[in-house]
Amino acid sequence: MATRIQFENNCEIGVFSKLTNAYCLVAIGGSENFYSAFEAELADAIPVVKTSIGGTRIIGRLCVGNKNGLLLPHTTTDQELQHLRNCLPDQVVVQRIDERLSALGNCIACNDHVALTHPDLDKETEEFIADVLGVEVFRQTIAGNILVGSYCAFSNRGGLVHPHTSVEDLDELSTLLQVPLVAGTVNRGSEVIAAGMTVNDWTAFCGSDTTATELSVIESVFKLREGQPTAIVEDMRKSLIDSYV
Amino acid sequence: MVQYNFKKITVVPPGKDFIDIILSRTQRQTPTVVHKGYAISRIRQFYMRKVRYSQQNFYEKLSTIIDEFPRLDDIHPFYGDLLHVLYNKDHYKLALGQINTARNIIAKISKDYLRLLKYGDSLYRCKCLKVAALGRMCTVVKRISPSLAYLEQIRQHMARLPSIDPNTRTVLICGYPNVGKSSFMNKVTRADVDVQPYAFTTKSLFVGHTDYKYLRYQVIDTPGILDRPFEDRNIIEMCSITALAHLRAAVLFFLDISGSCGYSIAQQAALFHSIKSLFMNKPLVIVCNKTDLQPLEGLSEDDMKLVMEMKAEAMKTITQAVGPNEEGVLLTMSTLTDDGVMAVKNAACERLLEQRVDVKMKSKKMMDCLNRFHVAVPKPRDNKERPVCIPPAVLEARANAAAKEKKKLEKDIENENGGAGVYSASLKKHYILANDEWKEDILPEILDGHNVADFLDPDILVRCEELEREEGLRLEEQAAEDAFQIDGHELTQEQKEILAQIRKKKALLIQEHRMKKRTAESRPIVPRKFDKDRKFTTNRMGRQLSSMGVDPIAAINRARSQSRGRKRERSVSRAAADGDGMEIDGQQSNKKLRRTSRSRSRSRAPEEVIPGEGFKDSEQKKKAIKKAKASTRNRNKDARRGEADRVIPTLKPKHLFSGKRTLGKTSRR
Repeated sequence: MATRIQFENNCEIGVFSKLTNAYCLVAIGGSENFYSAFEAELADAIPVVKTSIGGTRIIGRLCVGNKNGLLLPHTTTDQELQHLRNCLPDQVVVQRIDERLSALGNCIACNDHVALTHPDLDKETEEFIADVLGVEVFRQTIAGNILVGSYCAFSNRGGLVHPHTSVEDLDELSTLLQVPLVAGTVNRGSEVIAAGMTVNDWTAFCGSDTTATELSVIESVFKLREGQPTAIVEDMRKSLIDSYV
Repeated sequence: MVQYNFKKITVVPPGKDFIDIILSRTQRQTPTVVHKGYAISRIRQFYMRKVRYSQQNFYEKLSTIIDEFPRLDDIHPFYGDLLHVLYNKDHYKLALGQINTARNIIAKISKDYLRLLKYGDSLYRCKCLKVAALGRMCTVVKRISPSLAYLEQIRQHMARLPSIDPNTRTVLICGYPNVGKSSFMNKVTRADVDVQPYAFTTKSLFVGHTDYKYLRYQVIDTPGILDRPFEDRNIIEMCSITALAHLRAAVLFFLDISGSCGYSIAQQAALFHSIKSLFMNKPLVIVCNKTDLQPLEGLSEDDMKLVMEMKAEAMKTITQAVGPNEEGVLLTMSTLTDDGVMAVKNAACERLLEQRVDVKMKSKKMMDCLNRFHVAVPKPRDNKERPVCIPPAVLEARANAAAKEKKKLEKDIENENGGAGVYSASLKKHYILANDEWKEDILPEILDGHNVADFLDPDILVRCEELEREEGLRLEEQAAEDAFQIDGHELTQEQKEILAQIRKKKALLIQEHRMKKRTAESRPIVPRKFDKDRKFTTNRMGRQLSSMGVDPIAAINRARSQSRGRKRERSVSRAAADGDGMEIDGQQSNKKLRRTSRSRSRSRAPEEVIPGEGFKDSEQKKKAIKKAKASTRNRNKDARRGEADRVIPTLKPKHLFSGKRTLGKTSRR
């Protein structure tokens, strides 16, 4: 199920957390409320790690990972790298990558099988991603935006992309990723999808500004409840029309 | 999104307070001191300023009133008609019109009196004109006091109106008084409308909000409506009529089939037919309430016929693309027992949603949002399996959701240990290590000047084994190679001595170079001929010549012969007495030299040139000493202690030469 939370009165929780099927990274905040929201949902299944990257708290926008590995930017300190290696399971490969575009979370979006990357990424970085994360890598744009990691979020069950993505682009991306996709928003109309939410195969977290309609779209497309993505064009069609038009 | 906010209108002061406000401000913000001796233009400006300032203040406050009150013709028709019903449009416009007229009259008064003041010829006359101007302005404001009082009443009542958004999804509840409208409102929303068992408990509009299919709906409760001609309806009923006429809402017409509201079904049906024109283009649901007292099936034949006629009329309010749909038109419920309440709400919201969607489907904006209603289903592009990854713990947790125990979270631990800002959680608590005892180990960052992380490798054990194997191989090769190695030979005694000499020589050179370098910066260079420190002795010359491999005897003898020559000249006078060997003669010479040196150090003449001073000869030094003395002569004459002494004494010390004057003698001063 999807949960609404906020980090120190900020609803862009995807900036301060990174959620995968094997682990969850959470920023170090002034209190433990944000961490406990993840701990309550996930601590029984996967490790929830408090960390910083390069001395900052915007860890969701600086790193990219899935159940096989975790890629960190070159600004990561040695102590942070060692801390992450100590906290994560052994099968997760933690690597620091020397890439010019150091906001990896904004440039790369991936699940456990496929990754979309920034068109200007280095060739070596692309091969590195394929090796460490164990994914197929495609260079793509989303609704004309090159920051693919910011404007889409997907897991192994479904995906949510920029609201201005056309129907043809949606079909093309869906075939690449092999998951159902829908164009939607988070945080009451925000089109920066990955900044407002974080998701894996069985749970999702959204900013507290997310409306009930947006939350139901997210739960349908990621199959978090017993619903199916087709519910968006059947049961919720009238609600969405009345909201959007 | 509420567009109208009547709570922000500024308070309208009564007429008397209005006058006090403006006159007090004029008194405090303009000058108050004037004298009849001032220039007449100054007096005129003084009083013109007061008149102008008062007029501006009146203008601003009256303009604020006119601008902040809504214009009935510019706002939404619902609010326009509602305000008309409550306050009477004519009275409202007359009041605002009178304020506008007062504003114009005050401006004219000000202009007239400013013109008169320009020709004032005395302070008294200017003051009279100012008093007349302000007096007339206050008279105008006093005359509009009833309008100000009326507008203040309207403002207070407007602030209490509910915030109704005329454009959002709305459900409107209407019907006869005492049929259960407010009870239904309290059931489906969080509103708290008063409920009493008599008619007209609800005397104004009330708003609540409810959710249906992730959307928010505004529910409006209205006062009851009686069946009588339009002209005879009172203000309370006209509120309901206004809402019915102007809000595009789903309408719930409440019907009390038990008759306990005091009106029969025939009367309620008559009301329905008389106002059914207001239901056009709106989803209409007829709700039979109080079924706990009188079930719908138990109605008499005549009453049932009336209800069915109403149902037939209700189905005509919306033209449906599909055939007529009887579902959701006639419903039964009981607010007392909660039977059917949610069904009524859902039916009303559903029908309203369908109507809104149908209207929006025909609009052009729909084309821009088609991608939002499309779910892209992937087509297979390879035979690769991409399974979902959900840990078994999650599946077990879902299966045992009922038996879930509340775990102690980090947030709870924080609250127990002093709260945020006090509690500092350990980041190492959840480390996954081979040995849990290693969690709190302190790993150094820098060791022996090296970064530990540069040598840390997750595969370090594997690489260590590889290195050990390579080392073993290399050792075997080394052992095989050592069998054929020639033994090193020792140095011979002769070679050792040569090596020692070379090293000693090298050390001396290094030491000499360091000493030279150390003193090179700060040591003055003096020509050798002025041997100031008397370092260049015969022994040193001999040593240097010997070190160069040259025989120094001849040079030494030459130096000594010069020295002996001087001695021989001195001892010529005693040559006859001395006839012995060189030794005795040398001793005597040494004594004389020693005596001469001692006497020189004690009584050397100031002009004597000592080697190293930089003077060419004695004459040059004498000239320099003379110049130095000349430079201090003027300073010494002035009794100054040095060049820095710039004290200026009193040049005219009159007090030293003056005394008390006596009678008749003042010429000295």
